[in-house]
Order: sequence, then structure tokens, then C-alpha cells
Amino acid sequence: MNLATNIWTWIGAFLTFFIFSFLYRDNPFYKFAEHLFVGVSVGYSISISYHNVLYPDLIVPLFKHGQLLNIVPLVFGLCYFARFVPKGAWLVRLPMGLVLGFGAGAAIPATLQASIIKQLQGAVLTPSIFSRWDFFLWALISLVGVICTIIYFFFSKERVKSTKFAAEIGIIFLMVGFGASFGYTVMARISLLIGRFQFLLRDWLGIIK
Amino acid sequence: MQRQIPLALCLIFGIFMMVQFFVPHPVSNAAYEIVLRWVRIIAIFALVLGVGSLVMHHSTKIKRKASGWPFSIVTLVAAIITAFVGLLGVNVVNGKLMFFAGIGKTSLLQILFQNIYIPVNSTMFAMLAFYMASAAYRAFRARTKEATLLLVAAFFVMLGMVPIGSAISPRLPEFAEWILSVPNLAAKRGIIFGIALGSIATSLKIILGIERGWLGGGK
Amino acid sequence: MKFFQLLAKIDRKIIFLILAVVIIVPLIKPFGLISRASSRAEAVFNAVDAIPPGKPLMISIDFDPGSMPELYPMLTSILRHAMAKNIKVIVLGLWLTGMGLGEQALATVSQEYNKEYGKDYVFLGWRSGVLPVILGMGEDIKKTFPTDYYGNPLDSLPMMNDIKNYRDIPFFITLSAGDPGMATWIAYAQARYGLKMGAGTTAVSAADAYPYLQTGQLTGLLGGMKGASEYEFLIKEKGYSKAQTPASQAMDSQSLAHLLILILIVLGNIGYFFIRKGTAKKEEK
Repeated sequence: MNLATNIWTWIGAFLTFFIFSFLYRDNPFYKFAEHLFVGVSVGYSISISYHNVLYPDLIVPLFKHGQLLNIVPLVFGLCYFARFVPKGAWLVRLPMGLVLGFGAGAAIPATLQASIIKQLQGAVLTPSIFSRWDFFLWALISLVGVICTIIYFFFSKERVKSTKFAAEIGIIFLMVGFGASFGYTVMARISLLIGRFQFLLRDWLGIIK
Repeated sequence: MQRQIPLALCLIFGIFMMVQFFVPHPVSNAAYEIVLRWVRIIAIFALVLGVGSLVMHHSTKIKRKASGWPFSIVTLVAAIITAFVGLLGVNVVNGKLMFFAGIGKTSLLQILFQNIYIPVNSTMFAMLAFYMASAAYRAFRARTKEATLLLVAAFFVMLGMVPIGSAISPRLPEFAEWILSVPNLAAKRGIIFGIALGSIATSLKIILGIERGWLGGGK
Repeated sequence: MKFFQLLAKIDRKIIFLILAVVIIVPLIKPFGLISRASSRAEAVFNAVDAIPPGKPLMISIDFDPGSMPELYPMLTSILRHAMAKNIKVIVLGLWLTGMGLGEQALATVSQEYNKEYGKDYVFLGWRSGVLPVILGMGEDIKKTFPTDYYGNPLDSLPMMNDIKNYRDIPFFITLSAGDPGMATWIAYAQARYGLKMGAGTTAVSAADAYPYLQTGQLTGLLGGMKGASEYEFLIKEKGYSKAQTPASQAMDSQSLAHLLILILIVLGNIGYFFIRKGTAKKEEK
């Protein structure tokens, strides 16, 4: 055993226990750590936003280099605060409109390219998969799975016998897919807990290397 | 006007971004770079607004002495101290405090992050493992054939993706990999198509002003 | 049946305790399961390994301490690999609260390999807005990040002299815990600018990466802490690092905990099956 001598490690260990104490029940120690965390994260966000964005991207170009075009985003950005002024509250919609339009306009071609065209190319049977029987079989199963999954999600028309059958096959694929994600989720949660125990056993208590 | 101008802005910027994608002309490229810069700067104000709202929420709680108000003091004091040491670039070098020395590895901001933010944030997520173990026993039931399929797939992935799987049988990781790269792939691809079509439709509706939920109430 | 009814009444705190023991014991007394690399992890490793001298690897920290045990060991291992091979590194992030992790990892690993800031590696830090950041870097990195994390103008860093945009970056890795992350980079940087990329993801989203792996939009994948342990295995095997391997050390606990969860699910289901059968019999009577 090689106990930590750094006061900060002890603070980290105590905060870890404060949060874990919630497993027993909600209590003031947990609440303290939780509120402390929110405060630190607010202060941290303010600091990084200032040093990484506000100062180099707005203050320096506008006030030191006199690039007046930067007034435009400044004015739009300030409009967010109009929500606190009842008469001018509608001004909030200006930056929202701009950002939403920008995001939607950027998303359409990007989604089309990355999620539709590329994924369609991946789904169709290309000559290379005929090189081995198993490649071909798995590609065929995948293709059937994709089609059936899409049919399952298609609710606009009442299902006839054939589409009903396809949708049922679709559910099988979906369940296996969700199962795979679920298995991986278990893995993720366990990993996070191991990480905390490693901190306590290694950094704080010095029991493990 | 209070609705038309925001809708027009949305339309103009939406169409500009699409046109720019398909017709990358030097002129449109120059405008594109300006727009990217603007949106980056505007986005930071949304974050400032969020921080402001949170600070106001806790200040009101303290003023009204609402339940748990002393904890709001903890939040505000922690926020002020962290912002102070961060903005002023307070550093600890060889046991001495230095101001305006940046936010690098010796900064107090980094020390607070490593020793308060990291332990609390990661423990909050780590706790979920306990609840999941308890739920595994009480809730994950093979009630229907669909639920059984889900559990069977999860079973093989959970065993196959960790070293003990290959210690039991080398076939286990192979089968887990097959589940992931054949049926799982098919399901996820189907979902990707669904989400993509949905997001393209929604984006179009936003640009064309058919979807106006974001305008909120009022005139 | 009584046995299962009794089991069903077990206080959940006992289950909490069993899980804690199952994780702690192998950490103290490991039984040494080896986490060999999958072909997905090897693909990421080989892509980093193939970066020509003088060219940079770019890494995006798209996570926060909430998924640190899974993604942080990937970050340090990839940095160790690159720095051991004298590959230049650019680090940035889409998650503001991940910046401290980037700082911590770079400070640790650059010291191990005696690397000089601005010459061997650069920390760009964080910029707001996600899409304008990813799209902007496709046009000009220096216009998107006029300064680095510490406030130095990018022009003052010699490493950045020959780097304009994605065309100068042979390989990119996103360490992604959700949104914005892997899917965002694929849609806006890979599809539009042809950026060659791999991903390290939390296990939660690892299964979602498979359609992108098959199409080649992703070169390789490190999935969760197991993925991190695979990369640790690879850099150790090739002699690039002698540092601690936290993800690999965790694999015994990870394996046992999975077994425990599986046993709990099976027990829960057997109990459910018997209790349901019992109720059905009573109803028949």
C-alpha cells in the first residue's frame, strides 16, 4: 500500500465516495459534490469559451485588428439575450433562423452523401462478393435485412400479407441489432466502474500499479 | 416582420449552404468562409446564454430560500472561483501563484478540472453499472420471442467481445463479430436510412418555412 | 420455486456489493487474460503506422470525463504510437469539457517521448459550433483556429507551416462518445472532403459503427475499453511503449463482471420461468 500524498488526489477520492454514497440513498454529501461539479463545470466552460473563442475569434479581430465585419455575428449573438426584454424577445429568432438555416442547408447534402449514397453502395451486391461463397451469403443476408428493416419502419401504408412478413423479418434483424448494442452497453458501463476503482486502488491507495 | 425576417434568414442561409456544396465557386467559397466564421461566433453566445440562465436559476433559489438553497451557494461560489482562476490564467509554478499565465498544465483551472470535474463526472457515469447489474437480474426477461432474440444476441456479444470469450472458445469472438457485421449491420443500416430520410425531410421543411416550431409562440 | 422467490427478494445492495467485489479482486490479483488485437483495431494501428514522415495524425477529443476509462487510454496509446514513430500530432476537440483531458494526455505523453510543442505536436483546443469547425477545417485550418488552445497564433508554430486543410492530413481519428462525434465527422469531413478516418468509440456506440466500416467510410474501429486494450497490446508488442496499460489491466475485471451480469440475467429468467409456471398451475386448479 502506498497512500497518495497529494491533497488533490484525496479530494478526488472523497468526491468519488460522495457520489457513490447515492447508491445507499440521496444525501447531503452527494448533493454537495453534485452542486460543486455543476459550479466547476460552469466556471470551466466560461474560461475555455473565453480563451478559445471569444478572445481570439471576436475580441482580437474586432477591437485589435479593426475587422468590422465581425460586428455582424456580435450583433446576432447579442440578440440571444433579447429574450430577457419582453418587447424585443422576438429578436432571439434572428440568430436562431440563421443558425438553423445554416445547419439544415449543410445537413441535406452531407446526409445524402454519407448516409444514403455511400450506404446504398455498401448495401448492393458488387462483383467482389462473388469471390467467396460466405462473402456472398452474408452480403445477401445483410441486403435482405436492410430491406426488411426499412419495410418495418414504413408506416404510411397498411401492410398486406407480403409486407407484413417482411416487416416481421425486419423485427428479427432489429432485435439482434439492439441486442448487440445492449451487450456493448453492458461492457461500457462496467468499464466506467472499473475506471473509478482503478483510480481509488492505484492513484489513491497505491495498492495496484 | 417579427416572423418574416427570421424565416427569410433561415431560407437564405439554408439555400446558400446547399448551393455552395454543389457549386463551389471562388466567390461562393469566400462567402462560405465568412459564414462559417459568423456561425462559430454566434454559437458561443448560445453557450453564454445557457450559463447565464443557470446562474440566474441558482441566484433566484438563494434569494427565495427555496429548498436546498445552500447547495446553490456551493454551485455559485464554485462557478465564480473556477471562472476567476480560468479567466485570469492563475497558475501554480513551484508553489507560487502566477497570474495571466494561461490555461496549460500548471494552471489552477486544469488542476480543478483534473481533481474535481473528472472524479465527480466519471463517478456519476460509473454508478450506472450498479443499477444495470440490479436491472439485469430483475428486468431483463425473455418474455417474448423478440426479447429472447435480443438477449441471445447480447449474450454472445458480451461473451465474445471480452478476453474470457476467446479463452472459452475461439469460435465465440468469431460469432460475436458475425452478429455485429451481418445482422447488426443490416439493422443499423436500415436505421441510418430512416434517420437520413427523416433529417433531410425535416431540414427541407425548416428551410422552406413549413416547420416553424422554432419560432415559438407570439407574433 | 421457493428458492427463486427468495432470490427475487435479494436486496439490490447485495448485488451492488457482489459487482464491486467481482471488479476489485481481479484488479488486485489479476489472472492475466490477454486482450489480443482484432482486425478492426489493427486497421487503425496500421493506418497510423503508415503515415509518412513529416505528415501529421489528427485526433479529435469528442468525449468528456464521463467516458474517460474507455476513451482516454485510446488517446494516450495513439499519442504514444505516433510520438514513438516521430509522427507529428494535431489534437483538437468538439467537446469543451474534453479539453482538460487533451491537455493532461499531451502533457504526460510528450514528456515521455521528449517532444517539443509546436514542432512535434500542436493542441488546437476547442471552437464553438461543431459544423462550422469541421467544415471550416476542410477549407483552412488556420482560419478556423487562428490560435491554439494556449492562445499562440497558429502561424507562430513551425509544425503548422505546411498544413492548410484536410488534404494535408493523411489520417484522422475521432475518439467519440456520442454527438457530436463519429457520425458528424463522417458526414461533414469524410463524405465531403474525403478525409481518411478511423474511430475510437465508447462501447455503447461501437455497434453503430459497423455500417460505416463495411463501406470504408471508417478505416478501423476501437470499440470501448476492450478496443483501448487492443491498441495498448499492439503498441507494446511492437515496442513503442513501456507505459502502464490501464485498459489491458481492466480486462480480467471486465470479463468477470460480464460473467456475473450473464449469470444474473439467467438466474432472473429461470426464476421468472418457474414463478410463471407456478402461477399458471394455480390458475388451472
